[in-house]
Amino acid sequence: MKVEEIMVRKIEFIDSTASLFDAIEKMIDKRLRSLVVTPKEESDVYGVITVRDIVFKAIKQNLDLNKTKVYEVANKPVVCVNRVMDIKHAINLMDKFNIARVFVCDNMQIIGIVSLMDILNAFLIMRARGDYGA
Amino acid sequence: MVLERFFSTSKKEQEVILNIKKHIKTLITASQVFKNGFEKENQDIMLNISELEREADSIRRGLISRIYEGAFLPYLRPNIFRFVEIIDEAFDVLKDAASEYKYIKIKSEELKSDCAEIININCQICEMLLQAVDSMFFGEDLREKSLAIRIYEKKIDEIKLEITEKLQNIDVESFWEGKMLSDFISHLSKVSDIIEDASDYLNIIKISLK
Repeated sequence: MKVEEIMVRKIEFIDSTASLFDAIEKMIDKRLRSLVVTPKEESDVYGVITVRDIVFKAIKQNLDLNKTKVYEVANKPVVCVNRVMDIKHAINLMDKFNIARVFVCDNMQIIGIVSLMDILNAFLIMRARGDYGA
Repeated sequence: MVLERFFSTSKKEQEVILNIKKHIKTLITASQVFKNGFEKENQDIMLNISELEREADSIRRGLISRIYEGAFLPYLRPNIFRFVEIIDEAFDVLKDAASEYKYIKIKSEELKSDCAEIININCQICEMLLQAVDSMFFGEDLREKSLAIRIYEKKIDEIKLEITEKLQNIDVESFWEGKMLSDFISHLSKVSDIIEDASDYLNIIKISLK
């Protein structure tokens, strides 16, 4: 199965200079666990900020959520995969880098996200269909 | 296996099983016709949904008569009857959505793409229900199929939430245009709820056989 068959196209972006509180608000409103951080300039690359980053890097460290900027806790660069890549390779990458999601990129643009939960759901559906080794 | 013994001995029961599967296969066809009509933006294709719904009605009537002519033990009949009725509700909402389609204009490409995703998942969830029915009649475990159905339903729920947010920013020319669009989306997303109910009923039938 290819990455594009299970990727989620709903991607929310946040400016790297926005506050962590802005990021939290957006995550809660949109029911997301991560946001893509837009590049600061042309030479810059996409980053990602996750709930995990906010809890471990900001809340745990008692950082001021209104004063701390997204770029201070975000991760860069994001791990990108090709849309036609086999899911198994995406799983290997997630395992290797200990990450919960990879980004599907096309022409330097992020077009989708595949998370561990998306993979689990796809696996369960394939099993139920009998398409996958039970 | 209890189920195999139960379902394979009587001719009437075999007939009911075949017709239940035929009923669901007709639903799969209807959902695929809907998908085709939506992709091609063709209202004439959508008209076929009513034909399929009528065909399904006829299968359902035959099924119910057969059940009350003595197929299955009496205590099982109401549950099987209810299962068939639930499938019929799926035809009703699909037919309603198909009728509304001719009155609506989906101007936003994003909204169109969300609807297409729901329609596509509707086809898959109907196919999964057929597989669940097959599993039950073969005496297999239903858990994996039920879980897959719940995953599909959850996906549709998420898309519906996004659509609800987007709908608030869509300009409509009249009350009726807005109502039709809202009803169309509501009916589209209702199919998966109904299939989930049907799947729950399958589990009830299975448990009642133990």
